[in-house]
Amino acid sequence: MPSPALEGIRVLDLSESASGAWCTRMLADFGARVLMVEPPGGHPLRAEAPFDGEARSIPAQVFLANKESIVLDVASPDGRAAALALGARCDIVVSSFAPGRLAELRLTFDAFRSPSLVMTHVTPYGMTGPLANERGNELTVAARSGWASINGDAANAPLRPWGHQVAMCTGAAAYAATLGANVHRDSHPGEGQEVDVAQLDVMVSTFAPALLRGQYTGAAGKRRESADLLAGPVPVADGHFALTISRAHFWRDAMYTLGLPDLAEDPRWEASWYRQQHKDEYVDRVQQAMRGWAKSDLFEELAARRVVAGPVLTMEELRANEHLNARGYWTEAGGEPFPGPPYRMSGTPWAVHNPIPAPGAHGEGWDA
Amino acid sequence: MNGPLAGLRGIVLTQAWAGSYCTSLLGLMGADVVQIEVRMRPDSWRGAYDGPLPARLKDVPTAEHPWNCNFLYNSVNLNKRCITLDLQKPAGIETFRRLLPFADFVAENFSPRVLGNLGIDYEAMKAIKPDVILCSLSAYGHSGPWANVPGIGGTIEPTSGMSALLGYPGEAPLNSGQMYPDAVAGLNAFGAIIAAIHHRNCTGEGQYIDLSMQEANLTFAAEAAMEYLRTGRQRPRMGNRHPAFAPHGIYRCSGTEQWVAVACESEADWVAFKAALGSPGTLDVPEFATNAARKANEDALDREIAALTVVLTREAAVAAFQGAGLAAAPVLDAAEVANAPGLRAREMVVEVTHPETGTWPQAAAPWRYSRSGRPPVRPAPRLGEHTLEVLAELIGTIHEEYDALVAAGVSGTGPPD
Repeated sequence: MPSPALEGIRVLDLSESASGAWCTRMLADFGARVLMVEPPGGHPLRAEAPFDGEARSIPAQVFLANKESIVLDVASPDGRAAALALGARCDIVVSSFAPGRLAELRLTFDAFRSPSLVMTHVTPYGMTGPLANERGNELTVAARSGWASINGDAANAPLRPWGHQVAMCTGAAAYAATLGANVHRDSHPGEGQEVDVAQLDVMVSTFAPALLRGQYTGAAGKRRESADLLAGPVPVADGHFALTISRAHFWRDAMYTLGLPDLAEDPRWEASWYRQQHKDEYVDRVQQAMRGWAKSDLFEELAARRVVAGPVLTMEELRANEHLNARGYWTEAGGEPFPGPPYRMSGTPWAVHNPIPAPGAHGEGWDA
Repeated sequence: MNGPLAGLRGIVLTQAWAGSYCTSLLGLMGADVVQIEVRMRPDSWRGAYDGPLPARLKDVPTAEHPWNCNFLYNSVNLNKRCITLDLQKPAGIETFRRLLPFADFVAENFSPRVLGNLGIDYEAMKAIKPDVILCSLSAYGHSGPWANVPGIGGTIEPTSGMSALLGYPGEAPLNSGQMYPDAVAGLNAFGAIIAAIHHRNCTGEGQYIDLSMQEANLTFAAEAAMEYLRTGRQRPRMGNRHPAFAPHGIYRCSGTEQWVAVACESEADWVAFKAALGSPGTLDVPEFATNAARKANEDALDREIAALTVVLTREAAVAAFQGAGLAAAPVLDAAEVANAPGLRAREMVVEVTHPETGTWPQAAAPWRYSRSGRPPVRPAPRLGEHTLEVLAELIGTIHEEYDALVAAGVSGTGPPD
């Protein structure tokens, strides 16, 4: 069995947010040993809905898996001392405290007195700047980053990404940024540092195309006026289906498949920008033709012609999906099924060894 | 200091959003990222050679070439050098093979068959550079029955479970406002490559990374997947609502397209929320007295709140809610994000000067290091801008040799002759 990529790395997770938790979940999945410090009431995600039949939080089962747990009240002198001692023995500390709160708790980078430590701060608005100590969450970051302004449809309110997408993006970016500091330490032994990753900055980074579009065109993007096929999924016989056409041959082959040869053969429709500008001339006809198809039949037919298309799949359908199962995507932890890895690394394994730990179940052997 | 990856180099074959974003992030972290493009088939994010110029560039005299002036390409290719090489021509692939030993990592997001057809799959690359790290981003991964099914962000969103989760309560599934699955794939591949670099630093071993956009996005939908696995429930579309707390929404303010986002995450927040709105009687009713009651009557709750916010300016609403200690924010559009003081103060948004398009605000690196620093932000490269520079630097190519590559249709700038 090859060693995981992050074998030998020890992480103290002081974070109390989903963003911090996803960063440390990835560190754990790729082989780091992560000790999660939970406040006396337990990690806040443990109380977050929805819950399963055994009253276990669904988000907690995702975000807190694969870690060890110790309960410490870091606001108390003993708890703080224990956290500092543990952190100083780790390679990486992850915190989600805003700068004001971090200073109040006296858990700053300097307090660990460990120059080789990498301390990653994952916060809504960053450790500097005018918003640093403001409260923020998925909703407000979606609003401030521009995401909500172009998400959803024009007849409704601007829409945030669903669930904890901001936390997932931020956690993935913080994982990368933390490992960047690790690579720096590979080439500069003993040189630790602080890494500051803000949810807002990450979502602005993912908003970059729309941001520059607004500059070059002078018109900020808006939410879609209508739910037509250029915008995403449209109804088919048994659900919804996205036929997001870009290249000329996608258009041609899709129109033949749908029994619309006149649209396929008209050269005006070859250029993507032209199709965008004159969509009113064809979207109703195309969508009408799509309504006659079952989503898997249409997907199969178009895939055979190498046309990009996609049926809207539910979790039930994804769990049963032949492709994902052939690739062994779904896995198991603690005897229960578990969502799989974001990608496969040929030389170093990904694994969820343990489901969510009981609060305070671990902490042994971390003082060495 | 110029970023933690200073001294590392990628020779990359990335395009569109997912791959280009991944490798741009590596460049913003200090790696020397050399992107290979092909004149015959320009990156779809450069647009068509004869595509229109964006409105505000029409009067910019230096904005001559539409393929160097596309906001899509220019937004996600910062801090790279661009060389052109037609890898289907013998001299092109030979040049690639000579460059490869100078690469710590390679990334690509072609269809799975392409690298093999070009004779440079992972095994072939490994024969040239034994510790190379190769990351492939593809729609459905490099194995399994859908391996050769084509896909892009707009079709991976539905097939990864994301579209079924995005939307307003009781309404149809939606795709995001831009092709979000590309961003997810790019962010994940970015971290994967750095982890592989660390592993190589420790062991001397490279490796191959197979990123399926479907899987990366399904893993980002892990909460909904877990809910199905544990309960058999497909999570409903919730709009801006939270599974547990109410109110949690985006509400209209006075004026056109002015919105405030605000969330209450506790009973104390609710008390503060009501006070921030002047303790209106419409909110002080039994239907809204507890969080459970508010969740049960959320449609009515949202209507009553909207009736109160619609008479406030967005700025007044945000100030009142933030003043009360709540999580609240204005909904900013692209123009406002470009000029948001907080983003400017953190240099998350910076002015970038591009030789054709001029100076525009752009999103920079979403991290800061206390020791490693952030390298200066460099504009997206023009097509073929750095070919001679890179080939001369790495393999000693001289002018005449470059001219021969151009004459053979292997390299050069702009549309094919």
